[in-house]
Amino acid sequence: MADSKKLYSYEEIQIGDALGSYEYVLTQEMLDMFRESVDDPEAPFPTLAIKHDATAFELMYEDHTGTINAANEVEFHAAPVPGKVIRVTGRVANKYLRKGLPYIVLEASAEDEDGRLLERVRTYQLKKPDELGKKWEP
Amino acid sequence: MSEYVVGDKMPSITHQITQNKINLFEACAIAERQNVHNDAGIAAQRFGTSQPIASGRMSIAYASEALRRFLGPEAFNTTGKVNLKFLRPVKEGDSVLVRGEVTEIAEEAGGRQVTVEVRCENQNGDLTAVGQGSALLP
Repeated sequence: MADSKKLYSYEEIQIGDALGSYEYVLTQEMLDMFRESVDDPEAPFPTLAIKHDATAFELMYEDHTGTINAANEVEFHAAPVPGKVIRVTGRVANKYLRKGLPYIVLEASAEDEDGRLLERVRTYQLKKPDELGKKWEP
Repeated sequence: MSEYVVGDKMPSITHQITQNKINLFEACAIAERQNVHNDAGIAAQRFGTSQPIASGRMSIAYASEALRRFLGPEAFNTTGKVNLKFLRPVKEGDSVLVRGEVTEIAEEAGGRQVTVEVRCENQNGDLTAVGQGSALLP
């Protein structure tokens, strides 16, 4: 986990930049809360709501811009087990301009304390969210 | 041996969105918990919208549920993938209907990769997200 945050800047962030790593213990309460939030009593991946890649970014960067998720890509490898430590590693997978708007792509992978790969996630973030807000509510 | 064929329809599921469910989803986070999804003031500041917007990851969870039920938890929870591009905001009072259709079956080492085109629609029939999911079936 980063000791102090950097100020986010699209110009300065680079493809391949590490977002650092962090770990947490998944609790039964987190799993229950996730399942209730999505109305799915068998949902096995509360990691979706923990947002590994976005969390890795938030722990590294102070961001006054805000974000809209344009897309997500998720791979499921093994359901996490409550009580186990989950270790997350993140990086900046890409950055690009599309129609003049700045996007960054965050990526994170998660393993548990036994070394089992649990999940990989990518998020395509539009870093100019007011543009879509104007479209949604002109 | 999987019995899927191209053109098979994935059974649809529907979820109703409430602000309480959005808040529960966000409460699972381990980092920044106040955000555009659960704080109207932040949503207004960042997006210029009149109310919070549900995380696109909730739609990922809904699509994952539909795919898990259709392709089987054993395969989906260990080899599943889901990718969604978000097209419209989802907010309190909306519903999300997840539909899908098998579009490709590819022979691979270890089984058959079944790919499902996924569409999420709101209560007006507007697309809120599109993408695909898949799993490797024995």
